[in-house]
Amino acid sequence: MILDLHAHSVVSDDGRAKVPNYCQWIRAKELPIEGFVLTEHRQFDFASDYNALARQFGLTILKASEVETEYGHVLVFGVTEALTHAFDFADIRLPLAQVIEEAERHGAVPVPCHPGRRRVGMAAHIDELGVPEGVRIVEIFNGGSRGEEDRIAAAMADEQNYRGIGGSDAHIVSHIGRCATRFDGTVGSEGELAEALRSGGFEALSFREQQA
Amino acid sequence: MTVNRITDVEFGDTLPVFDPDTRLANVARFVKTAHWNGPRFTDHEAARAEGLPGALVPGIMSQGFLAAMIHRWAPKAEILYVDTVFRAPVIVDQPCHINGVVTDIDEATGEVEIDLTVTNDAGETRVFGTARAKLPN
Repeated sequence: MILDLHAHSVVSDDGRAKVPNYCQWIRAKELPIEGFVLTEHRQFDFASDYNALARQFGLTILKASEVETEYGHVLVFGVTEALTHAFDFADIRLPLAQVIEEAERHGAVPVPCHPGRRRVGMAAHIDELGVPEGVRIVEIFNGGSRGEEDRIAAAMADEQNYRGIGGSDAHIVSHIGRCATRFDGTVGSEGELAEALRSGGFEALSFREQQA
Repeated sequence: MTVNRITDVEFGDTLPVFDPDTRLANVARFVKTAHWNGPRFTDHEAARAEGLPGALVPGIMSQGFLAAMIHRWAPKAEILYVDTVFRAPVIVDQPCHINGVVTDIDEATGEVEIDLTVTNDAGETRVFGTARAKLPN
């Protein structure tokens, strides 16, 4: 099963895409993904219910979060209500160690995203802060990467023996599906997604050249 | 190809790519007209001295390019808004390309939503956003 693990909707402050239009775009353009995960910035979107939309388009639509730490931005998959009380998702200087510890305590999976990016990526902070403990997965293909950012991410993943995922980081409709992650099995819920990531049965994919 | 009516537009339609003139002389003319004159827009060395990668195409000029692109495609369109997110600077004298695709249509109101991206020669997105425009029925 192929899911785009990193997308933003109008719920995020810089998101400009409406979720129904993502679905319409995926089907109209026959993109090779079977769903996507909405990773809204600095929050978990409890309010939105995409179940009817998912059924209408035959897609899997899941929810996660993108939080901000001293090492840059981190996707958190498998967010529960209890986890949202464990730390302040809106805090832009969360300690990465706390995010990892609390995520794992609540069955969630933290994944530093666009780690090759300046300022908001993990690689840029390792020289100053050291290699963080507890990171197991990073995003190695990001649809919004520029220049050498994905290469830096992949090199860091190789060096630190991290697993890699892919996500489009879409903020507008036509950017959905540029990168994604293939899972060995089926993923139908936020909990199954976290479990699939823990199992290690996945690989990162990039469709950027095909879609250029 | 141009469109004149909302019924001419389909979901996923691609607007003709627009390669705007980002050369120094054109940017200098723009900032003088807009009263935004400043060395960071018209002098590469001065811009680098400010820590920038080169002289910048002003954001309002990029937005003007986006509006121009929409009107080249749909001359009769009324642009309701152009909403941009600046991810990386657009540099003077470096070619850039503006792409647009239709991502929402409301035939009842005659309004379309358009994804817009400004990319460089490497295909990197410098600016993205959306626009909403109203076409005649």
